[in-house]
Amino acid sequence: MDIISYILLIGICVMLIIAGVLAAILMGKSEKLEAASTSLDQLKSTFENLDKEAKEIIKTDIKINQAQEELDRRLNGLESLQKTSRLISTTLDENEIFHRLQHSLANNLSYEKKLIFLYDDNHNLQSRLNVGIQTEDVYFILTDINKNPDLVKTFQEGHTFSSATAPVQKQEMIKHIFTVEYFVIAPILNQNGLIGIIFVGNQSNAETITRADEEVISILASQIGQSLGNARLFEEVFKSTQILESKVQDRTIKLEQALKEVQDISLKKSEFVSAVSHELRTPLTSIKGYAEILMTGKLGEVPESVKNRLEKINTHSDNLVKLINNLLDIARIESGKAEMLFTKNEMAKIIEDVHDVLTPLMKTKDIDWYTEIDARIPELLLDKGQIDRVFTNLVSNAIKFTPEHGNITIKAKYDNAKQIIETEVVDTGIGMSNDDMKKLFTEFYRIDNKINQSVKGTGLGLSLVKKIIEAHHGKIWVTSQLNMGTSFHFTLPLDPHNIKHEETA
Amino acid sequence: MSFQIGIGFNKDPNIELAARKAAIEARRGLIGKRPSITIVFSTIHYPPEITLPIIRQSFTESKIIGCSTAGIILPHSISTRGLGVLTIHHPELTVGIGQIASIDSYQDISKAGALLAQQTLQDFPSQSRDLFLCFTPGVIENLSLLLMGLRSVFGNVFPVVGAGSCDDFHFRKTFQIFQDEVLLNSAVGLLLGCPGISVSIGSAHGWRPIGKPRIVTKSIGNVIYTIDKKPAASLYEEFFAQKMDDLRNDPIGKMTILYPLGLLSYETGEYLLRNPIDILYDGSILCQGDVAQGSEVHIMIGNKESCKSAFEFAANEALTGLRGKQPQLLLVIESMSRLKLFGHSAHQEHEGFNKIFNSEIPTIGFYSNGEFCPSENGDASKRTHLQNGSVVICAIG
Repeated sequence: MDIISYILLIGICVMLIIAGVLAAILMGKSEKLEAASTSLDQLKSTFENLDKEAKEIIKTDIKINQAQEELDRRLNGLESLQKTSRLISTTLDENEIFHRLQHSLANNLSYEKKLIFLYDDNHNLQSRLNVGIQTEDVYFILTDINKNPDLVKTFQEGHTFSSATAPVQKQEMIKHIFTVEYFVIAPILNQNGLIGIIFVGNQSNAETITRADEEVISILASQIGQSLGNARLFEEVFKSTQILESKVQDRTIKLEQALKEVQDISLKKSEFVSAVSHELRTPLTSIKGYAEILMTGKLGEVPESVKNRLEKINTHSDNLVKLINNLLDIARIESGKAEMLFTKNEMAKIIEDVHDVLTPLMKTKDIDWYTEIDARIPELLLDKGQIDRVFTNLVSNAIKFTPEHGNITIKAKYDNAKQIIETEVVDTGIGMSNDDMKKLFTEFYRIDNKINQSVKGTGLGLSLVKKIIEAHHGKIWVTSQLNMGTSFHFTLPLDPHNIKHEETA
Repeated sequence: MSFQIGIGFNKDPNIELAARKAAIEARRGLIGKRPSITIVFSTIHYPPEITLPIIRQSFTESKIIGCSTAGIILPHSISTRGLGVLTIHHPELTVGIGQIASIDSYQDISKAGALLAQQTLQDFPSQSRDLFLCFTPGVIENLSLLLMGLRSVFGNVFPVVGAGSCDDFHFRKTFQIFQDEVLLNSAVGLLLGCPGISVSIGSAHGWRPIGKPRIVTKSIGNVIYTIDKKPAASLYEEFFAQKMDDLRNDPIGKMTILYPLGLLSYETGEYLLRNPIDILYDGSILCQGDVAQGSEVHIMIGNKESCKSAFEFAANEALTGLRGKQPQLLLVIESMSRLKLFGHSAHQEHEGFNKIFNSEIPTIGFYSNGEFCPSENGDASKRTHLQNGSVVICAIG
C-alpha cells in the first residue's frame, strides 16, 4: 500500500467518522426539532382553544349586553310610564294633562319622535301633542294619513302595532309617512271607545324598537285614555254643576233682592205706622180728655143720652190708644228703636204676677190655673215689662179661647246645655187649624171663629209677642189641634247678650 | 387665593328656560366674581343656536367654549338629557382659547392640531401654563394626528386633556362651542395657567384582552387593512358570528364600542384602546386613532366591575397627583362606551369616586367619544395618548 492509498484510507475513515458524528448530531437535532414542532403545535392549539373560548365568552357577553339593554329599555320605559301616569292622573283638566304629557314625554321617553292625535267630532285625527317633529311636518303627516284609507282603517281598529310586529307593507307605509326607521303606534281608548292614537318612533337605525317598547307604549296609551276619559267626565259634571250653581246664584240674588225690597217696605211701613200713630195719638188724647171733662158735668149738665155717647167715645178712644200703642211698639221693635231694658228676674215671680193680674178674669169662666216650674231655673236677664206683656197676651188669649171650666197650665223648664228657659202656655181651648197656625203671628191676622167674631181685637197682640221674644233672642212657635187646645212655646236665653255674641261669631 | 367655581345644570324641556336656569345657577356660584372662563356641555336635545345666546347673557365678560355630549355627569347623578355650565374665577387665572374649523378639510390633520395649539397660545398672555383642554369632533377620522400636532407645539410632557364631542349614540350630530359660535367638525382648545395651582390627571379604562394575540399585518394611519393577513373586519365577523354586511348595517355593529381593539404597548405593558368607527367595504377597519403596523392587537372586553375599579383607580391617581393639595375642581371626561356598558345603572360606576373625593368639591363631567389622556400605568413622562373607552379625571387644586 503506497502512501497515497494510506492517506486516502485514513481520509475515508475520518470522513466516515465525521459522517457518523454528523449523522448522530443530525439525529439529535431532528429529535429536538420534532419536539419543538410538537410544542408549537400544542401552543397553537392552546391559542386556538383560547380563541374559541374567547369567542364563546364574547358571544355570551353580547347576549348579556343585549339583554341588559333590553332590560334597561324596559326599566326606563316602566319608570317613564310610572312618572307619566302619576303626573297625568292627578289632574282632571284636559289641557293640563297634555301640558304635563308634553313635559314628561320630552323628558322621560327616549324616542326621537312622539305624537298624539285625537279624533275630533267629525272623526278626523287632529294633532294634540308633538315632540321632535316640526309643526309643519305634522300637517303633512296628517294629510298623508288621510290620503290612505287602509291606514285610517287600521288606526280605527284600535290595535297596537310596531315596526317589530306589523306586516312589512304596513311598516313601510308608516316609516315613509312619519320618516322613521322604528316605531310603535297604540290606540288611545276610554270608556266610550277609541279617542285617538299615540305614535313614537326613531329615525336613527341605532335605536331599535322591540316588543318591550310596544308593551310600554300600549300601557301608556291606556293610561292617557283613562286620564282623558276622567277629565272629560269631570268636565261634563263640572259644567252641569256650574250651570246649576249659576242658576242657584241667580235665584239667590233675586231672592236677596226681593228680601231687601220686603225689608225696605217693612221698614217704611214701620216708619209710616210710627209716624201716623204719633200723629193720631195726640188728637186722640185731646178727644179723650174733652170727653172726660164733658162727662164730669163741669161744663154744664150732660143729659143721660149724651153721657152714654160720651162713655162710648171714651171706650173707643181707649181701644184706639191701645191699638196705636201696640202698633208703635211693633214699629219700634222692628226698627230697633225700642231698647230692651234687661234686668235680672225670676221666672216664677213673673208667672206669679201674671196669675195675680188675670185671676179675676179666669174666675169669670171658672178656669183652673196650673204651673209646672223647674226649680233649677236661675235668674235671667230680660225686660220685665215686655215679658209681662208676653205672658199677659198669651194667658189672656188662652182665657179668651178656653171654654168655662177649662184649665190653663204654665210650664217652664231649664235647659242647662243650651242655657235657655223653655216656656209653654197650654190651654184646653178650641184650638186652631194648621193654616191658622202658619199665619198666626202675622200682623192684623185674626182667626175666623165664633169667639173672634163676638170679641173685638186688633190682631196685633201675637205679632207684638213674637217681636218681643225675638228682641230677647228667643223663639216662639205654636202647636194646636182643633177642639183639643193650644200650646204656645217660647224660649228665652239666660243672657241675651251672650246669645247675641255667639250669633255674631 | 382660591377658585370660585359655579356649576349649573338644568334639563327643563323648555330649551330657553333650561339655558337660563343653568346659566343663572352657575353664575350664582361665582358669588359676584368675574368669570375667567365658562365651559358648556350640552346634550343634543338643547340646540346651541338657542341656548348659547341665553347663556351669553349671563356671562357677557367671559370666554366660552363647549361641546355636545351623550350625557352630563354630576356628583350624584348622570343625565342623558340636559345642559351643564361650568364657570371659573380665580384672580390670577390666565386663559387662552382657540379654534380650528372644518378639520376634515385638512389633508394633514396634525397641522390642524398645531394650528389650534398656536392660536390658543396667541390668546394666552402668560408664560406659566398648566393645562390644555380641547374638544374635538367625535367622528373625525384620525384624532391621533390632531394630538400629534398639539404635542408638536406644547411638547410631549405638557398635560393635554381632550374629548371627542358626541351625541346620543346616533353618531350623527356633534357640535363644538367657541365664544358665540356653534361649530361643526371643529376643534376648540383652552389653555389655562395660574401661579400656585396644581393640576393632576388620572385615567384608566378597565378593558382586558381576550382571545389569542394577533398582529396588525397592514395598516396606514388609522385604517387597519389586515390582521393576521386576513381582512381586519374578519376579526369581528368571527367574534360576533356575523357577516361583514350585517356588522356594517345591523345595530349589533354598534356593539363594537363595547369590544374595542387593544394595542399592546411593549414599553408599559398597557393596552391602548381603539374603537372601530366604521367597517369599510374591503373589510378594513377605520379606527378613531392611529394603529401602527406590526402591533400586537387583541379584542378587548370590559365588565362593570373592572370599569368601576378603573374609575376608582383614576380617581386615586388624580388625588395622589395633587400631592396633598385639596382639590378645588374635578372635571370628569368619560367615554360613552362606559355609558353604554353600564346603561341604566351608570351612576353605580361612580360609587368609588364618591368614596375618594368629598362630595362638596365642585364636580362636573361629560361623556365623550375619544379621550386624550396620559397612559394608565404611567410611563413616567405622562405622555398623552389618544384612548377610547377611558375615564379621565382632572383635578385642579
